Amino acid sequence: MKSVLVIDDEPAIRTVLQRVLERAGYSVRVAANGAEGLESLEAQVPDIVITDIIMPTMHGVDAIKAIAARFPAVRIVAISGGGNFGNSDYQPHTIKTEAYLAAAKSAGAHAVLNKPFHTQDVLQAIAAATGAPG
Amino acid sequence: MKSSLATRIVLVVMAMHAVVLPALYFGLSVVVSRSQVDVFIQHVRTLSRNLAEELELGDAIESRQRVVDMLDHTLLNGDGVYAEFIDNGQSILSNLNVRGVRWPGKQDFKFGQLGDHAYFIEIPVSRPGHVASLRLGFDEDPTTDQIQLAMHQTVLVLAAYLCIAVMLAAAWGYHFTRPVVRLQHASRSIARGDYAHSLRLESGVRELHDLGSDLEAMRRELVGINEKLREEMLENERAEERQRKLENRLRHRQRLETVGTLAGGVAHEFNNVLLPIVLYAELALAEIPAGSSAHQDLKEVLASANRAKDVVNKILTFSRDAGTPKLRAIDLEPVVREALRLFSALIPPSVDLQSEFRGPFPAVKADAALTIQVVMNLCTNAYHALPDAQGIVRVELANGSDPAGADGDKAMRSYVLLSVTDNGTGMDAATAERIFEPFFTTRKVGSGTGLGLSVVHGILESFGARITVDTAVGRGTSFKVAFPVTEGLDASAASNGSAPGVAA
Repeated sequence: MKSVLVIDDEPAIRTVLQRVLERAGYSVRVAANGAEGLESLEAQVPDIVITDIIMPTMHGVDAIKAIAARFPAVRIVAISGGGNFGNSDYQPHTIKTEAYLAAAKSAGAHAVLNKPFHTQDVLQAIAAATGAPG
Repeated sequence: MKSSLATRIVLVVMAMHAVVLPALYFGLSVVVSRSQVDVFIQHVRTLSRNLAEELELGDAIESRQRVVDMLDHTLLNGDGVYAEFIDNGQSILSNLNVRGVRWPGKQDFKFGQLGDHAYFIEIPVSRPGHVASLRLGFDEDPTTDQIQLAMHQTVLVLAAYLCIAVMLAAAWGYHFTRPVVRLQHASRSIARGDYAHSLRLESGVRELHDLGSDLEAMRRELVGINEKLREEMLENERAEERQRKLENRLRHRQRLETVGTLAGGVAHEFNNVLLPIVLYAELALAEIPAGSSAHQDLKEVLASANRAKDVVNKILTFSRDAGTPKLRAIDLEPVVREALRLFSALIPPSVDLQSEFRGPFPAVKADAALTIQVVMNLCTNAYHALPDAQGIVRVELANGSDPAGADGDKAMRSYVLLSVTDNGTGMDAATAERIFEPFFTTRKVGSGTGLGLSVVHGILESFGARITVDTAVGRGTSFKVAFPVTEGLDASAASNGSAPGVAA
C-alpha cells in the first residue's frame, strides 16, 4: 500500500483528501503546513506528498524545494486554488495560478493540480507523478 | 484747458493775423494813398504847366477876356475849382470860380491840407515885360474817394484772405491730427485687449511716421508675447486635460485592480470551500446506490459546485489570474464572423442583428477563442439592453488610426476598431462608470452573475486592447474596442488561431 502525506492549511481539505485517498487504497497522513509536513517526513517518508502552495508558516514552494532536496524519492503533487495573497514572499499580487504551479514544478513537484478538482483528477495526478497508471 | 490741436492751430493763425493784418492794412493804405496823390499831383502839374506855357507863348496874355477864357477852359477840362492869373500884381479870376474857393495865401501847399478839400498850385509864368504867376486849385475829393474805395477793397481782400487762412489752418490741423487720432483709436483698442489694429502711420511728418513705426514695433512685440502666453496657457490646459484623463484612467484601473485582487482572494477561498464539497459529494455518491433519490440529489450538489467553479473561473479571468491568454497575430474578421454566427443562433428573430466589415484588416494581437467570448459577451449585453427583445444590435469592424494614440494610449497609433451598438435603453453616467466591475449588474437579482463585462475587461486588458463605452439613457449603448495592430505582421500571413468552437 502506497503512503501519502497531505499538507494543507485547510482542515476540511485535509480530511476529505484523507477520506478520498484512503478509499482509493492509500495510507494517508496529514499536516497543516510545510514545517509540520517536513517533521512528518522526518518521522516517516511517504511515497507521495500532496501539498497546497499558498499556506501560512511555510510556503508550499519552499516546502516542495526542501522535500525534493532531502527526500528525492518522494513524488510530489502540488495543488492550488489560485488567488492573490499579500503576505507571501513570492509577490503573488502579480503571480497567477499558472505561475504558482509553474513555480511548484520548477521547485520539484512532479504533478500540479488546480483546485477544485474531482476525485478522478487527484488520482490521475498521483498516477502521473508516480509514473504508474492510475 | 484741453483743446484739440486743430483748434489751437486755428487760434494761433487767427492771433497772428490779428497782428499782421492791421499792419498790412496800414502799410497798404500809405502806399495806395501816396500813389493816388502822386498821380493827382502829376495830373495837376501837367495841366498847370500846359496852361502856363500857353500863357508864355501866345498873345492871350494881352487880352484880359482871353485869359479868363483860358482859365475857364482849364477848369472845365481838369477838375479845377479855382483859377487865378496874377499879372504885374493884377489878379484875373476865372468866371467859373463859383464855389467861392479862396486862395489860401501860402506858397508850400500840400495835398489834403485845406478844409475845403482843394489842392492849390502856383506856377510862375515867364514872359518879357510881365511879372506873372498862375494859381490853380483842384478838387481833392475824387482822389480821396478813390483812396477810400481802394482801402475798402483792400479790407475785403484781407478778410477773404483771413477766411482762407483760417480754413487752411483748420484743414491742415485736421490733416495733421488725423494720424494721431487713428493712433489713439488703435491704442485704445489695445487697452481693450484687441491687438489687431496696426499702429503704423501714413503721415508725411517724419516724427509722426517714426512714432508710428516705433509703436507698431512695440505692438508686434506685444502681440508676440500675447500669443506666446496664450499658447502657453492652451498648452497648460491641454497638459492638464491629458493629466486628468490619465489620472481618471489610472484611478479606474486601480479600482479594477483592487477589485481584482479582492476577487482573486475570494476565488481562492471559494476554491478551498468547493473542493471538500466536490470530493465529499463524490465520496457519498460512490456509497449510495445509483437510481436512489439521494444519489440524484448529490449529483445536483456536484452540478451546483461545478457552476460555482465556473463563477470562480470568471472572477479569476477578471483578476487576470486565469492563466496567460495565447496571444498571436490574428485576423479579426473571421473571428468576429464566427462569434456572430454563434450569437445569431441564440437570439429571437425580433432582434435585427446587423454587421459591417470595412476591411481588409491588418493583423492584431489577440487570442481568437477569448475574442469570440468578448464579442458574444458584448452582443449579449446589447441584446439584454433591448426592451422586450425588440431592436437593433449592430456590429462593426473598421480600421482606425490616431497619431496621438487611441484613447491617449501612445502605443496604439493604429488599431482595428470593433464596435457593438444597440438602440436599447442605454445607461446613465454612474452606471457606465461601474459596468466593468465584477458583480456589478443592472439585471434583476438572479438573472446573471454580473461578471460578463468584467470578464470582457480582463480579457481585453490581457490583449493590450482598450474598451470604451458611449451611452445615454434612451439612446442606446455603443461599446468600442480598439485592438492594437501588430507591427510588421500581415493578417493573411498570421496564423489565425484556428476556428475555435464555442467560446470558453
